[in-house]
Amino acid sequence: MTRAPHIPIDDYLPLKPLVFEVLLALVEGERHGWSLVRDVQQRGGFGRIMPGNFYRTLRGMLAEHLIEESPDRPALAEDDDRRRYFRLTELGEKVAAAEARRLQAAVLSARAKKLLTRRG
Amino acid sequence: MRRSEQLLYRLLLLAFPAQARCEFGDDMARMFSEQLGEARAAGRSETRIWLSAAVDALRAGLAERFIPFHSRAVAARRESRRWRWWVHAFQQDVRYAFRLLLKQPGITAIAALTLALGIGANTAIFSAVNAVLLRPLPYPDAHRLVMLYEKRLKEGVLDNVVSPADFLDWVKMQQSFDGIAALTPTTVDLTGTGEPVRLFAGAVSPPFFEILGIVPSLGRSFLAEESVDGRDQVVVLGYKLWQEHYGKDAGIVGKKILLSGRPHEVVGVLPATFEFPDTTIGLWVPLSFANGGRPPTRTGHFLNVYGRMKKGVTVEQARGDMDRVGAQLEAQYPEANRNHGVHVADLRGEIQAPVKDGLLTLLAAVAFVLLIACVNVANLLLAKAAARRREMAVRAAVGAGRWRLAGQALTESVVLAILGGTAGLLVAYWGIEVLRQITPREVQVLGVDQLKLDPVVLGFTFALSIVSGLVFGLLPAWHLASQDVNESLKEGGRSPGGIRRRLRLSLVVSEIALASLLLVGAGLTLRSFQTVLQADPGSRQEGILTAYVSLPEVRYPDDAKRVAAFDEIEQRLAALPGVRTVGGTSHLPLSGQDSRTGVVIEGREPTPDTPTRAHPRAVTLDYFNTLGIRLIEGRNIAASDTGETPFVAVINETMAKRYWPGISPLGKRFFTAGGTVKREVIGVVSDVKHWGFDRPVNPEMYFPQRQMVWDGLTFVLATDVDPVTLTAAVREQLKTVDKDLPLSSVRTMAEVASRSVAARRSAMLLLGIFGALALVLAAAGIYAVMAQLVALRSAEIGVRLTLGAQPFTVMRLILREGLVHSVIGLALGLGTAVIVMRAFRGMLFRVSPADPLTLGGVALLLLATTALACMVPARRAMRVDPVKVLRF
Repeated sequence: MTRAPHIPIDDYLPLKPLVFEVLLALVEGERHGWSLVRDVQQRGGFGRIMPGNFYRTLRGMLAEHLIEESPDRPALAEDDDRRRYFRLTELGEKVAAAEARRLQAAVLSARAKKLLTRRG
Repeated sequence: MRRSEQLLYRLLLLAFPAQARCEFGDDMARMFSEQLGEARAAGRSETRIWLSAAVDALRAGLAERFIPFHSRAVAARRESRRWRWWVHAFQQDVRYAFRLLLKQPGITAIAALTLALGIGANTAIFSAVNAVLLRPLPYPDAHRLVMLYEKRLKEGVLDNVVSPADFLDWVKMQQSFDGIAALTPTTVDLTGTGEPVRLFAGAVSPPFFEILGIVPSLGRSFLAEESVDGRDQVVVLGYKLWQEHYGKDAGIVGKKILLSGRPHEVVGVLPATFEFPDTTIGLWVPLSFANGGRPPTRTGHFLNVYGRMKKGVTVEQARGDMDRVGAQLEAQYPEANRNHGVHVADLRGEIQAPVKDGLLTLLAAVAFVLLIACVNVANLLLAKAAARRREMAVRAAVGAGRWRLAGQALTESVVLAILGGTAGLLVAYWGIEVLRQITPREVQVLGVDQLKLDPVVLGFTFALSIVSGLVFGLLPAWHLASQDVNESLKEGGRSPGGIRRRLRLSLVVSEIALASLLLVGAGLTLRSFQTVLQADPGSRQEGILTAYVSLPEVRYPDDAKRVAAFDEIEQRLAALPGVRTVGGTSHLPLSGQDSRTGVVIEGREPTPDTPTRAHPRAVTLDYFNTLGIRLIEGRNIAASDTGETPFVAVINETMAKRYWPGISPLGKRFFTAGGTVKREVIGVVSDVKHWGFDRPVNPEMYFPQRQMVWDGLTFVLATDVDPVTLTAAVREQLKTVDKDLPLSSVRTMAEVASRSVAARRSAMLLLGIFGALALVLAAAGIYAVMAQLVALRSAEIGVRLTLGAQPFTVMRLILREGLVHSVIGLALGLGTAVIVMRAFRGMLFRVSPADPLTLGGVALLLLATTALACMVPARRAMRVDPVKVLRF
């Protein structure tokens, strides 16, 4: 696999919400496409995620080296060999963390400005 | 999901490119199938989910086809990253280049200095090209401006000045111009405010400024009715005169000033930005066509005509229109206008014409200097490259690509070139000063005052630096990148001869070729200049002082008063100590003063196809004597030739031979002034170069000043002392005669003559400078190459010496090597030079492009230079200690 060119992490930010959600979903371990979609949709905020848009996003993330296809498969019984599994790359993890920190900072600043308390 | 549904969804996925379908088609289909199942289970509308799927497939599919990656934003970011990567690599290269250059400050300084000379000279000359040739004319819509001339195809003349009658007819008959206007330079005496001054004025027909598109910054320009005699006592001041003479008096408009003794009302002041090729013109007056009650002349030609074409009219259309006008006038006035037409020429071309070829030649010459500089630096870098073979090989071995290596080497050259270019700006700054100094004021061209390092010139310098860097860097870069890594590592850093030797020697060949080309150009120009100076001017140049005196019409209204005044001045000047003789003439040779008229020879039918014309000059008794003009036959003008006695003329040899071939013209008669005045030839004098050393002599006729009284006369004084020392005394005497006589030019004849060759001298001087520069650079380059070759061959030389070769033989070996390559370079350079110089024949004067003296001289000079440049390394080779060199 080709190595990602050296690009500062900040250049990836801000992430598109769907990209961030996918990265979050992968933090816990590798997943296949449909289970990712379910996970993301369960956390809410996205409405229905359609396949075309979703896989185009995945392709982009693969190309950006944020995720990679996982050669490891779950135990045979659980495996459906038609499914493709994805996992976070080191870069993907760093980028996700950076985005999380960015969001956290935004939330903190919103709180400091009493935006959150005011709204209840 | 049913089979039919699967098929339908697969159809939707056709929106995606095949590759994406192949990679994720199954996953997408499966995902949709699950979504469909969920929707059914939840009892949601199937139609809606199908609709969403269709929209989604189309949108994502088309995006996948036309926008790489999953979003435009990422694509853009990716681009910027790639770009950043390059910038980063470039920054690294630049930093590395600087480190390397600083590591060898000596070599860097030499290379940068060499380049600075080349780039600086180019920048200086380009600043002139930019100011004079590239800058648009300083008039609005200048592409519509043209000059109109009288065309005489039979005589091969396209740009004759125009007669007033023709001009007035053109104005009436033309259909393709917004307007045409005439200009004739004249002189006026400004009196009444301090010292009287003589000024050049432009007499123009009223629409002149409108045609150029110039609006006075104060007041107005001329009105149509102000070209009528009596209404023409108005004046428009040039900015400089207004500034210097009137202290920028804002209330000047409406005031009266005394011009040649007559009050003129100032009606306007021109803006500071107004430029005109004839920079001597300080103020402008209306041109009146009154001809002493007679109709305007059709035979006297003295007008320069400017026109502004109507919008949308092309020069070709204007030419067609004026051809019609010309043909009509020819039919109407067969006597005066036989074979005359109208020529329309683009104003920009006309203004640039006098200097265009010269400037382009100079640009070519400096380009050669830069090329030689580049060859020198290329050689320096090749030598450095040899020392760095190992470093490059190591870098290649650990994975640096060839392109990356070549790019790094090129970056180094370009950085060096930019250093050189920056230093070159200093050279250019100084060069522009020199250009300003040696630009002949006599050349009427726009833009000479605009010589400066403006952004365009700076951009040129920058671009030129980069191009130079690429030119001289390409060879070493290619050399570094194309080396065999294995070989270089095996050699352990020692550099062999081989290709590089041949390459170096080919540099010698090219330096010699380039230098010889340039030197031939410079040499031929020098020879032309010499030939021009050696041409017999026909009149005495040394020990002559000239003083122009003009008598204002108001105080000297008639011939008698003028003759009396001129007589008195002549006597007073002749009485000055140190003055031998004094003469006077209406038209001083080489001064640019001139006039011409048709002559009708008695007893001969005028043949309009070969018109007889001559240039009249009024002279005083001692004029020929003072200037050393020989009387060939007949008699000189005498005191007895006055306005009351029969009119006589002394003619020059050319006129005698042309109009009375094979017979003596003495006693023959001819008519001037449209046949109204009859004159008898009383003498023939030797030819005088009137129009320049390098111009042919035309028929000239000298009339006694008393029989043709001009209002201005140039006195010539033959002196026993240095003529310059008499300047003050001459001015003093003029004041004694009339304190209001304007101060006018008092110059030595040598100065007048020198000015007449100023343009040629400037060109020669510049080409000479560039030739010398080329020679020095080439010598330095050849020395460097030979020194390096000797260093490379020291081992071989050591072996030779050990085996019994004489030191002298070794020296001969090195010398021969240098000289053989010089001869090849010379053959190439001289051959090319002869061909190239044919194209520049116009700049040569009585010198063939293949002038053996020049070619031989250049060949000798370069061979001697080569020998000298080889001598030091050759002597070093002779003293090689075999033991020392063979030990390593």
